[in-house]
Amino acid sequence: MFVAPALLVLALMLGYPILQSWWLSFQRVQLQAGRASETWTGLDNYIRLFADATFLQAAANSALFCLVEVVLVTLIALAVALLLNHPLGRGGIWKIMLIIPWAIAPVAHGVLWKWILNSNYGILNGLLMQLGVIDSYQVWLGSPVSAMAFLLLVDIWKSVPFIALLLLAGLQRIPQSLYRAAYMDGARPGAAFRHITLPQLRGAIAIAVILQTIWSLRVFDIIFVLTSGGPADATVMMNFMAYRTTFNFLDIGYGAAIANVIFIVTVLLAIIYIRLLQPREPGAAK
Amino acid sequence: MSYERYRSGGLGLKTGIALALGVFAVWSLAPIVWMVMTSFMRQRALIVRPPDFSPASFTLANVTKIIGESDMLWQGILNSAAVALLSTAIALALGAPAAYALARLRLPKAGAISFLILATQMLPGIAVAIPLFLIISRIGMIDHIVTLALVYLTFNLPIVIWILRGFFLSIPDSIEKAAAVDGAGVVQTFVHIILPISRPPLAAAAIFAFVEAWNEFFFALILTRRSVQTVPLVISQFQGQYQTAFGQMMAAALISVLPVILLAIVFRNHIIRGFADGMSKG
Repeated sequence: MFVAPALLVLALMLGYPILQSWWLSFQRVQLQAGRASETWTGLDNYIRLFADATFLQAAANSALFCLVEVVLVTLIALAVALLLNHPLGRGGIWKIMLIIPWAIAPVAHGVLWKWILNSNYGILNGLLMQLGVIDSYQVWLGSPVSAMAFLLLVDIWKSVPFIALLLLAGLQRIPQSLYRAAYMDGARPGAAFRHITLPQLRGAIAIAVILQTIWSLRVFDIIFVLTSGGPADATVMMNFMAYRTTFNFLDIGYGAAIANVIFIVTVLLAIIYIRLLQPREPGAAK
Repeated sequence: MSYERYRSGGLGLKTGIALALGVFAVWSLAPIVWMVMTSFMRQRALIVRPPDFSPASFTLANVTKIIGESDMLWQGILNSAAVALLSTAIALALGAPAAYALARLRLPKAGAISFLILATQMLPGIAVAIPLFLIISRIGMIDHIVTLALVYLTFNLPIVIWILRGFFLSIPDSIEKAAAVDGAGVVQTFVHIILPISRPPLAAAAIFAFVEAWNEFFFALILTRRSVQTVPLVISQFQGQYQTAFGQMMAAALISVLPVILLAIVFRNHIIRGFADGMSKG
């Protein structure tokens, strides 16, 4: 009775659409004058994926984006968490610095960076020019490699705080007695980090990696604002492509097939995540 | 070397940490500072190379113009507030009892159901967006506040359940036993005993849900047209219209994020405890 309303809402809003999304992906759906006409095509949409250069490019982009973002976010967040766990980093001001990037809307964040990166008057150009790093203003979002690099930078800035908080909570759960024992045994701080901090933090790091992978896969807002997938589809990722295929090109069945690829990858990652959570507190999940 | 000294490191390490903290502060704050500065700078100061930072460049004009003239932004703020409040209220009303039951009442398969709910929170919006769009168009509910608030339950309800469940698991058994001895039923115990001691996690869950709903862009893009555009949509359109009015653009973006940033700063300790525990506890 307590759980039923919540489950009912989730089943209606998530369960039914997920099934419907699979159903759609086996069809060719055409919108004409606001009405959808559906033709059963079996696995055609999925077969089409493998021959579609745009999709293969989008999948490669997603993989690259996820890989680089997860590695960098985890490393930077670990460094930040260690800093904020040090007595010098304990003040409330540092928490504010973590919470602000989390609370900023991704769209506003994207708009802000579009201004920072502006090719005519952007502050990044101004700054680098003053410092003598560049000798003319650059179109940062104009070439494929640099557009991808800046999307990564912008998304990493936004993602680090949450992961840092997760790792900080992990650091604070490590029993102080372990460090005291290391001190008694005369272990150097570097050795204590390698033999106590890292092994104790392994669970938290694994969770951070999985969650960040899931979040990187669904990045959308900043792509929409900053590059719209350009230049020349260099920053189109699977999520953005599914949106564009469905809502701009109105190829609904094919869009659903792309969405389902993301769905499957996410579900696999979610299963790993839940596996990671369970063994640590076997009594909790009763 | 004392233990405290051992843990915080020598002078060299301390200097290094202080420097690194400085770098972190600049990295975190520089973009925000630039957003705030741009909001208060005249156009002619922004379109010179490099920007002109003399005192004469600063003005309130952008902010007053946006506040005074932009009906679109105000409408967006009202829509976002309505959607976020409604979605948060429903998520708490449905989520709190569900979280309590999953944590405390010995339901069969409570663990499995909890993890299923957690997993739904990770689903990308696109996995359900296409069918939701088709269904909602068919029943004529595109561009309604209620539609958006209900769709936001797909991510807010799992967040709320998961944050509250973590807290409910930590309540000692003795509290419920005492209530049972006094003859309180499950509903009475929940309403009169559990809810009053759960204010901090309820606040954390509410803020979390509110911020997520306020900032959401993807579903708003698909499911709204003119009348219920939320703030992120308005900002993304401003960017197209006022592409070169940089000061006004940043002023609008700043105004749009200010409410949730203030909320987040005020409730930071609740939120941090809520999400750190919620995401990493089985």
